[in-house]
Amino acid sequence: MTEFLQQTVSGLTTGLVYAALALAIALIFQGTGTLNFAQGEFATLAAFVAFALSTAGLSWWLVVPVLVVVAFVFGAGVERLLVRPVENSGPLALLTVTAALLLGTNAVTALIWGTDVRSMPSPFGDSVFHVGALTFTAQALGGGALVLVTMLVCGAVFRFTPLGLRLRAVADNPDSARLLGISTGLMLAVGWGIAAAVGAIAGLVAAPTLGLSPELMTNALLLALAATTLGGFSSRLGAVVGGLLVGVLSNLASRYVPGIGGDLQLVVPFAIIFLVLLVRPQGLFGRASTVRA
Amino acid sequence: MTALLEVAGLTAGYGAVRALHGIDLTVGENEIVAVLGANGAGKTTLLRALSGTVKAAGRASLGGLDLTRTGAHRIARAGLGHVPQGRGTFTGLTVEENVRLGLLSRPAGARGQADGDLTRIYETFPVLQEMRRRPAGALSGGQQQMLALARALLARPRLLLIDEPSLGLAPLTSADMFAVLSRLREEWSLSVLLAEQNARASLKVADRGVVLARGRVVATAPAAELAADASLRAAYLGTAADSPEGVTA
Repeated sequence: MTEFLQQTVSGLTTGLVYAALALAIALIFQGTGTLNFAQGEFATLAAFVAFALSTAGLSWWLVVPVLVVVAFVFGAGVERLLVRPVENSGPLALLTVTAALLLGTNAVTALIWGTDVRSMPSPFGDSVFHVGALTFTAQALGGGALVLVTMLVCGAVFRFTPLGLRLRAVADNPDSARLLGISTGLMLAVGWGIAAAVGAIAGLVAAPTLGLSPELMTNALLLALAATTLGGFSSRLGAVVGGLLVGVLSNLASRYVPGIGGDLQLVVPFAIIFLVLLVRPQGLFGRASTVRA
Repeated sequence: MTALLEVAGLTAGYGAVRALHGIDLTVGENEIVAVLGANGAGKTTLLRALSGTVKAAGRASLGGLDLTRTGAHRIARAGLGHVPQGRGTFTGLTVEENVRLGLLSRPAGARGQADGDLTRIYETFPVLQEMRRRPAGALSGGQQQMLALARALLARPRLLLIDEPSLGLAPLTSADMFAVLSRLREEWSLSVLLAEQNARASLKVADRGVVLARGRVVATAPAAELAADASLRAAYLGTAADSPEGVTA
């Protein structure tokens, strides 16, 4: 039982990273109607920037807010400069742009920092805590808390602020939003900015555990896409729950299902997603699209 | 006195297809003008051209602002409200959130009266208050139409464009809608451009009527005069459009 709990905790820790990335993907999907394949690379780039800032002597207390602001500006800038011009060229053009962004960001990261895996010190130190029979590293606790707070703040912005209401209005019905004086272009840029900021936190939290390299988020992106599918693209909460489920399930399967082990564990969440989608094509939390009168 | 809305030689269309061929029209301060015409006469296109959701050429100015060169969201902020055909409710948001979006869009000068206006809206449309926690998509057609109108009013427009508010509504609901429209001016001090197929009901609430046929203005006259002109009605508004009016009249 203790081991089961320990494995679950460890699955939740990785799951939080998937959840944050899935949330970022869902945010952009709801606003733009496209998948941002570069979301993982944005997060990797953010992790390198955090590493560089911390190496330059900036305290972690400052690195986190600076990183969030820089990522927001970067995300909004990418939307303005690279996504906006092809916005009306259809979903395939948008998809191609984000795929190009994936390759481009990856190449730039590799060019600046090289392809070797570096070890990044945990912002939360190396201490280990014992609660009953369970073991928690400071990185897992601190990283988990940081991601959770990020997601809660993001959720609160969407749920309770005028900005969030405008963002949701644009996602729901851009034409009507314009008729109410809302600048849909500005809201899309803000949405990309928020998504990039949430993704940056995911990258920052993932790097100390996985090792800092341009490939940091390659697997995480696939799992986050899977998590978003599982939870439902139209639901922010669904994306987060999907991420946690994917993390826990793949961890438990590799431990308890004979023959799966570390290499095949990626297959497990995808198999479950396949089964869920057979029953609920809109995902666990998604709404079947409503017909507009 | 110059009119609030002045339109001259306005043309608009979709791609290569032109739907408006030079419209001339004015709406004065505090005036209600009905735009009448059969299906395809250009009523919806005219309203869309004014709110900036369809590209238009020619002259259209709202209190000096050139509407043909201004983006839709800037036009809205300048005080033009548009209740589009099909209502355009945010179906995934709750009724209350739809209403709040209207309040968010009002000009800074009107923020102070927000609470009073909201109370008035809930008095006019009690059903919206009852249903405020429900998703707007769960409302009936008539309720969605009321929500769309409420949201537009809460933005405190100077000129409100309303497109076919009675379309697809049951006769009784439609009569309710026209009863609300007839009180708009007194309660919200605004000008209205109302596009409707139901000529008789809309001429009762309007001061003037403008009749469109195939993208052109074929008649402009005081509402009472148009309502009495049987030959005009037969020629441009069609007998088919008359049939539901017997119920609402």
